[in-house]
Amino acid sequence: MSKSSSLYVDGDSFFHRMDGAVKLVLLLVWTAVTFLFLDLRIFVVLLVAGISMLLVARIPIKRMKFLFWMLTLFTLMNSIFILLITPRFGSTLTGSNTPLIPLGYDTINVETLFYVLTLSLKYLTLCPITLLFIFTTHPSRFAASLNKLGVPYKMAYAVSIAFRYIPDLSQEFRHILNAMQMRGLGISRGDGNLKQRMRNLSLVVVPLLQSSLQHIESVSDAMDLRGFGTKPKRTWYMGTRAMRSDKIVVLLCVLLLTVGIVLKLQVVQGFWYPL
Amino acid sequence: MNTGIQGSGSSGECKGGFLMKPSIWKWSTRTVVTIGIGAALYGATSWIGIPIAPDTQLRPAIALLAIFGALFGPVVGFIAGFIGHVINDFIQSGTVWWGWALGSGITAAFMGLIYLSKDFNPKDGVIKKKHLISFIIYGVVGIFVSLAFSGLFDIYAMGEPNNKIVIQVISAGLVNLAVFLILGVPAVWAYAKRNRNNANLTVER
Amino acid sequence: MQPVISFRDFSFRYKSQSSATLKNINLDIVRGEKIWIAGPSGSGKSTLAHCINGLIPFSYGGEITGELYVNGKDSSSQDIFERSKSVGTILQNPDAQFVGQTVGEDVAFQMENEATPQAEMKTAVFSALDLVGMLDYEGQGPHDLSGGQKQSVSLAGVLSTKADILLFDEPLANLDPASGVKAMRLIEEIHQAGGKTVIIIEHRVEDVLQEPIDRIVVMNEGEIAAIGTPDDLLAGGTLASFGLRQPIYLDAMAYAGLSLQGLSNLRTPEGILGTLDKGKLEVWMDSVESPQEQRDGDVLLELRDVTYAYDAGRDVVRQVSLSIGAGETIALLGGNGAGKSTLSGIITGLFKPRIGEVRLWGESINNWSIRRRGTEIGYVMQNPNHMITQHMIWDEVGLGLTARGFSPTEREERSDEVLKICGLYPYRNWPVSALSFGQKKRLSIASILALSPKLMILDEPTAGQDYRHYTEFMDFIAELSNQGMAFLFITHDMHLALEYADRAVVMAEGGVIAADTVANVLSNSEVTSKARLRETSLARFARAWGLSSPSRFVQAFIDYEQKGKTSHE
Repeated sequence: MSKSSSLYVDGDSFFHRMDGAVKLVLLLVWTAVTFLFLDLRIFVVLLVAGISMLLVARIPIKRMKFLFWMLTLFTLMNSIFILLITPRFGSTLTGSNTPLIPLGYDTINVETLFYVLTLSLKYLTLCPITLLFIFTTHPSRFAASLNKLGVPYKMAYAVSIAFRYIPDLSQEFRHILNAMQMRGLGISRGDGNLKQRMRNLSLVVVPLLQSSLQHIESVSDAMDLRGFGTKPKRTWYMGTRAMRSDKIVVLLCVLLLTVGIVLKLQVVQGFWYPL
Repeated sequence: MNTGIQGSGSSGECKGGFLMKPSIWKWSTRTVVTIGIGAALYGATSWIGIPIAPDTQLRPAIALLAIFGALFGPVVGFIAGFIGHVINDFIQSGTVWWGWALGSGITAAFMGLIYLSKDFNPKDGVIKKKHLISFIIYGVVGIFVSLAFSGLFDIYAMGEPNNKIVIQVISAGLVNLAVFLILGVPAVWAYAKRNRNNANLTVER
Repeated sequence: MQPVISFRDFSFRYKSQSSATLKNINLDIVRGEKIWIAGPSGSGKSTLAHCINGLIPFSYGGEITGELYVNGKDSSSQDIFERSKSVGTILQNPDAQFVGQTVGEDVAFQMENEATPQAEMKTAVFSALDLVGMLDYEGQGPHDLSGGQKQSVSLAGVLSTKADILLFDEPLANLDPASGVKAMRLIEEIHQAGGKTVIIIEHRVEDVLQEPIDRIVVMNEGEIAAIGTPDDLLAGGTLASFGLRQPIYLDAMAYAGLSLQGLSNLRTPEGILGTLDKGKLEVWMDSVESPQEQRDGDVLLELRDVTYAYDAGRDVVRQVSLSIGAGETIALLGGNGAGKSTLSGIITGLFKPRIGEVRLWGESINNWSIRRRGTEIGYVMQNPNHMITQHMIWDEVGLGLTARGFSPTEREERSDEVLKICGLYPYRNWPVSALSFGQKKRLSIASILALSPKLMILDEPTAGQDYRHYTEFMDFIAELSNQGMAFLFITHDMHLALEYADRAVVMAEGGVIAADTVANVLSNSEVTSKARLRETSLARFARAWGLSSPSRFVQAFIDYEQKGKTSHE
């Protein structure tokens, strides 16, 4: 794992320059629109659009590979899970039943297989836009963006603190685990049976908590000493100004959402099944 | 060798903020930092777990939520849980599971209800049996309410099959319950015990 | 002239404590003064600092009597935010102080809170960063910076606010010697350039004194015990009388029978004015006998050409070979980022070397798990709170024994034994929270000692402890060493190495650049500067006064002190 908790990759693409708040709006609208549907055609369109946006941002594929595989692995497992537990679920959506693979206790039908494909694509649709957001948005711009979107600055700053201290706490956690393991109190397979390992894990919670409370004390002292929270508003060093292109993107987002809602209400209500 | 208690001013155990429980709606700097550090802690520990079944792990993160809820109240717990989950998803899973992130917040908020009982004050070592019982009840209810929420969210937003979600919710609920009972509850108890007044200690030769 | 800070019969008692932490403080500090507040732990110096910057009573409640004026204003009428405009504080822990996610953002933090327009902030940040020499790092995150660089950023953050009183609360605590020197230099430059009032609280005496100080305020048991110029207090031995460590070259002069009378400017070894009896020093140097102690014990641990990289292509530890004999005490020295922690991770099994071998009693242990290595090698973390998990002392010691499968009777025997060794037996039924920091530190040692390892790795064993606690703790370690335990100290504390280690191994940029007697290593300026350490003040003293051999002078000092210690026993 890298030393910083952010995955931000420096660059100068259209999306790097885009206002963080606008990108967040884009992510949320995209997610909302995806939630509306269960239609393969729409997901294909969104997925292609999302991937082209990723290409525009020119993020090194090597960096994104891990997250992409994580999600693929998840959807794969999820699909298998669905096929095994509810092999004929698709029928409840289509009303038809075309048996395909016998399982013994039941039979997977074509409808469910197609449903699983649609669902997997739905999950994957969310991936490019999320990657776009996290790889092109500096986490400190992120807090400023939240504030801009109307989130109270104290809450926005809590997010910034979380990003700031994840690496510190992770490292401390590893250290503590390691020292415990040397005393024979580890949590990996060689350290005893499940019960013992659970007990050992519970031991780690104490020092970890202790040290987080210590962090809370010293960080809030430091912030108090520098005047945090005394004014109703605060400015952001890393804040960005919305440019004309940003306003256009917001308009496009509104358009996307409207089209989504109209489509949902008028054209494609439920599960799309062509067969 | 000197005897125990050292009165160093920087020991940090004698802070004004620690003596009285602040209201859950007052956002002091400490509240902001607590939320941030709580979320960071959730993110920092989410990568580890003891696998007990395929795709299911015992993660200390839930226990930490319980502790943060109990020590700082439902509002801090909710926000820390939610932010921690979202950030962790950003870093580790390639997409944000909004339903489950809200679920983490809800769990912590329920566990934080114990903070509202007037005479519960683990920072000064005050914790009684009845607190522990209500803490467990809040926790159990919280875990299942939040999972029911996350499950319904997946059914409505993602269109997941009901039966599969039911199985998922029950198994995840049991795992979280185990972590809560095995790691979370004892940790809060131990924390309170540590802060109990250490009067009447005798040196035994 | 009106003082910028004025305490009048000032006392303070923390809400939760029964007696006052500060008693009857009367102190005037004038504009442009540079003050060092010294004193042992618990003497009230941090509390005094909190009163100056407003954390008392803002965050730490309690009862105040008497008056405190800051810039002529009664402090009780100001809130912490108003105070922060006149007093800028640099805290001990640079990681806590550095709240921003990038350098620029952190410097701007206070201006952000004051809702300063962005353009104005940018200008102020750049000029403040320029002042501390960190302009090139504006976009970096805290994880790319060393402790010293973080400190500089904190300083820039305070400078950008135009506060005219700068308060440093143990600024050197986490810095290696070279960064410490740099930090003090930087503070002095700022002091000179801006006419700021500077107040420093610090344990590391020699590091503070290398730059001019107007007055030293010595605190003891909540009161001001002495105030004076460095020469006043050094010549009179005042620091030593309050349990503080005075510069060791002054000790050496005393050992050699030299009087400080007629000398001035004592704060640095090079700067002393007056005439020194060189001959007397030479005679003393030759008269001290080395205790011919030879330990030809078996080789306990050996590293052979060990190389390790976190990411392929970037080796953080390069071809390191070293050996530790049974019962030997070795100091692994080096600046932050030299690869010391990684090396200790390789020994404990956390990291597997890419090339090379780790051998224990002549057998390769490359394939041993962390757990198995733990039976022979103990690892003690810097912060005991990171190790202690149990509520009761006795349980903490017994924990590892249970995990290692010892029978209850054996567990009891061993626990009692190590608690006795560590001086904690009388408290065995106490809760851990009743222990002081130093006692907790001993407890963490006890819990490892119970597992009877042959080698103990101590990570920065004395960090953050004052001289009395430091000496107490290290004498205890020395006793364990006399009983046959081998130690590896991972540290950048040179006094520690000088006084308690048999040999020093110095790392820089991932490689071992020296392995020799401590005296030889620490009087070799080439090695020390490469490793971000500093030549000991003894060697600098010897060189400045033209003594025949700096390293022999250092060795004489070590041997003399050693003799003193053994004759006490």
